Amino acid sequence: MIQTAQKTLLRALAAAGLIAGAAALLAPQGDSHAQSGKAPDLAPLPEAKFDKRRAELGRYLFFDARLSGDAAISCATCHKPENGWADGQPLSKAYPGSEYFRNAPTVVNAVFRDRFMWDGRLDGTDLGTLVRDKVTEGHFMQSDGRIIQQRLKQVPEYVAMWTEIFGKGSDPYGPAMFGIVGDFVRTLTSRNAPIDRFLKGDQGAIGAEAKEGHVLYKGKAGCIACHNGPLASDGRFHRTGVPENPEVWNDPLRAITMLRHYSTQGMPNYMNARTDVGLYAITKDDRHRGMFLTPSLRELKYTAPYMHNGVFATLAEVVDFYDKGGGKGSVLKGLGLTAAEKKALVAFLETMSGEPVKVDVPKSPPYKPRNLGKN
Amino acid sequence: MKGTVLRLSLAASAIGAALLALAVAPATDATAQDAKAAKAAAKAAQPKAAQPKTFPPLGPLPPVPVPADNPMSPEKVELGKMLFWDTRLSGDKSTPCVVCHEPGMGWGDAAEISRGYPGTRHWRNSQTILNSAYYNKLFWEGNVTSLEAQAPAAAEGAVAGNGDTAMMEMRLRFVPDYVERFRKVFGTDWPRITHAWQAIAAFQRTIVSDARQVPFDRYMMGDKEALNDSQLRGMALYNGKAGCLQCHNGPLGSDQRFHALGVPPNEQFNSDPLLQITHRWQQYQKGVTEDTYRNALIDMGQYYNTKNPKDIGKFRTPSVRELKYTAPYMHNGVFYTLDEVVDFYNKGGGNAPNKSPLIRPLGLSDQERKDLVGFLEALSSDKPLLMDAPKLPPYAVMK
Repeated sequence: MIQTAQKTLLRALAAAGLIAGAAALLAPQGDSHAQSGKAPDLAPLPEAKFDKRRAELGRYLFFDARLSGDAAISCATCHKPENGWADGQPLSKAYPGSEYFRNAPTVVNAVFRDRFMWDGRLDGTDLGTLVRDKVTEGHFMQSDGRIIQQRLKQVPEYVAMWTEIFGKGSDPYGPAMFGIVGDFVRTLTSRNAPIDRFLKGDQGAIGAEAKEGHVLYKGKAGCIACHNGPLASDGRFHRTGVPENPEVWNDPLRAITMLRHYSTQGMPNYMNARTDVGLYAITKDDRHRGMFLTPSLRELKYTAPYMHNGVFATLAEVVDFYDKGGGKGSVLKGLGLTAAEKKALVAFLETMSGEPVKVDVPKSPPYKPRNLGKN
Repeated sequence: MKGTVLRLSLAASAIGAALLALAVAPATDATAQDAKAAKAAAKAAQPKAAQPKTFPPLGPLPPVPVPADNPMSPEKVELGKMLFWDTRLSGDKSTPCVVCHEPGMGWGDAAEISRGYPGTRHWRNSQTILNSAYYNKLFWEGNVTSLEAQAPAAAEGAVAGNGDTAMMEMRLRFVPDYVERFRKVFGTDWPRITHAWQAIAAFQRTIVSDARQVPFDRYMMGDKEALNDSQLRGMALYNGKAGCLQCHNGPLGSDQRFHALGVPPNEQFNSDPLLQITHRWQQYQKGVTEDTYRNALIDMGQYYNTKNPKDIGKFRTPSVRELKYTAPYMHNGVFYTLDEVVDFYNKGGGNAPNKSPLIRPLGLSDQERKDLVGFLEALSSDKPLLMDAPKLPPYAVMK
């Protein structure tokens, strides 16, 4: 009985457009660690497990523009290897005809994350589900997943690789296909980051200035309160008052994707929104206005500009911002860092970036005709 | 297949026999048994006997039917015209309505198979929107029953406009000129996408043949000079020996029913990967069984609506108006000229499991075929209905 009631409630929630994990989102947010002072420490990244054959096909699909509706953009359009697997722009591109209203984050270390998107609307239980969201979402790749599976079937190389993995007679199909892209993303993790060597005991892995920065990170600067654990992120939501990026509202193409996002999330009064409300669009809880997911600090060296809207071009600007206690509505207090301390902190932040994550960028194999009627 | 054709012709003779029997009623004792048998046969053949004996004649088009929930107004039509051209009503701003329904190409796209959305190809011929106001079902498959429902199906279809509903709606809201126009026409604070489809439908209701431009219509309205002798002979053939009127009847020249003719397949499907992708995707997304999906060789038309094997290969009869401007012909564009189309019918159509019993060799002479084509051309306007693209209003930063 109770189970049935729960199921009904879950269905009702789903019908109301609440995403999976909404309940978790609604749990007390935010600043518990900062208040208690008992944040988990930084830690080396664990090793990511992946299946080589699956990841290999996934590498092809990640770079194949035929995964998008008009075959114009691929995952790599906004997650470029040469830009630390982000896109190097303050605000991300979107599907042709649109522009996005937030910054494209790196996909490096995505395998370790348990929450995604700046407003945290997706959880990380299954990378394939995330891929599916990006591929089929109107402002990203605007594809019909059923067409993509037919496109893959039209590429003999893909069919051969697929058969290797799933056995003879298995066709590319949605969930597995998106999962395969996720398997490639699993291979994209920090490589030989100084901080990991340092945290494992190699005192020589980072310099003296960075070590000073480490002390500040955990102490006076208070970074550890939110940027903790192996990813240097608590996976929670905070209001730090990052200034609006005027480009979002002044470019109608970006304002369109923002308000359209609010409308598809069922946000009340979405036509009158003029700013990025962050988590509120998902939970519709007034306390969550302007809250964003704590990003990982790993690979920062390659992923400027920073923040959910790319308003800061350098780490020095970011540190200055926190030194002032954040912006309007921030829950943070000023830090009173000296110039030398700020420099030390930046030096430490840079140790969180490894060697550039490179892969061979594959050439997408062409379509070939098949025998009609042997579908 | 042979068996099916045989059964169909048997059924056709049964109908004939039944009609004959009814014509000679009351039956004498001697023929009572025959009449009874014929009656039973007629009953058995009932579904196929549903074709009426007489057909509504061709004639000038009546005033355009307008649904009560989408009345016409000049402002709405003007808005609809803008939206018909507006790239913002497609996924990547490449494929508004007008791309596959160009005025200069008879409001179709002049290709065998419609170009479709970038990265894809469509799988059927793009039909003219000329006189689409008169259809009670649209698309070759007849799967929508109003222009208001047709517009979003095309604008959002993955191989057509591939637009995202919410995105298209929000784009309109960032165009101040549209905000104002939608407010005036529909009384809403913000443009709504369903109203956009209504406006486009209203615009399409103005894209109709002008009877004064159409020789056949002028003839029917009393101008006896409007058709020449050859065309008059063609008209007689159309209504008689050639049997066109059996399906292409009423003012529109369409019975709006579904028939299988055995139109030959378009060979491009054997070699074009994009067409093969769409072919499989269509089987898949239209919800056929896995077995059917795996083996599908052809576009099964009406079958996708009913999943009844008797409907495989049936398509909704298209209008015979404005053919002069809308080549190539048939659902897959295999015929480039009306001569080819008439030849096809003259030979009794092609091969199809459910081929209509109405399609049979006609035995038309060369002259008769010429006359018939001449008459068909007289169902088109003297000049194409052209239209200049409207000026489209820009986006602006919202206050």
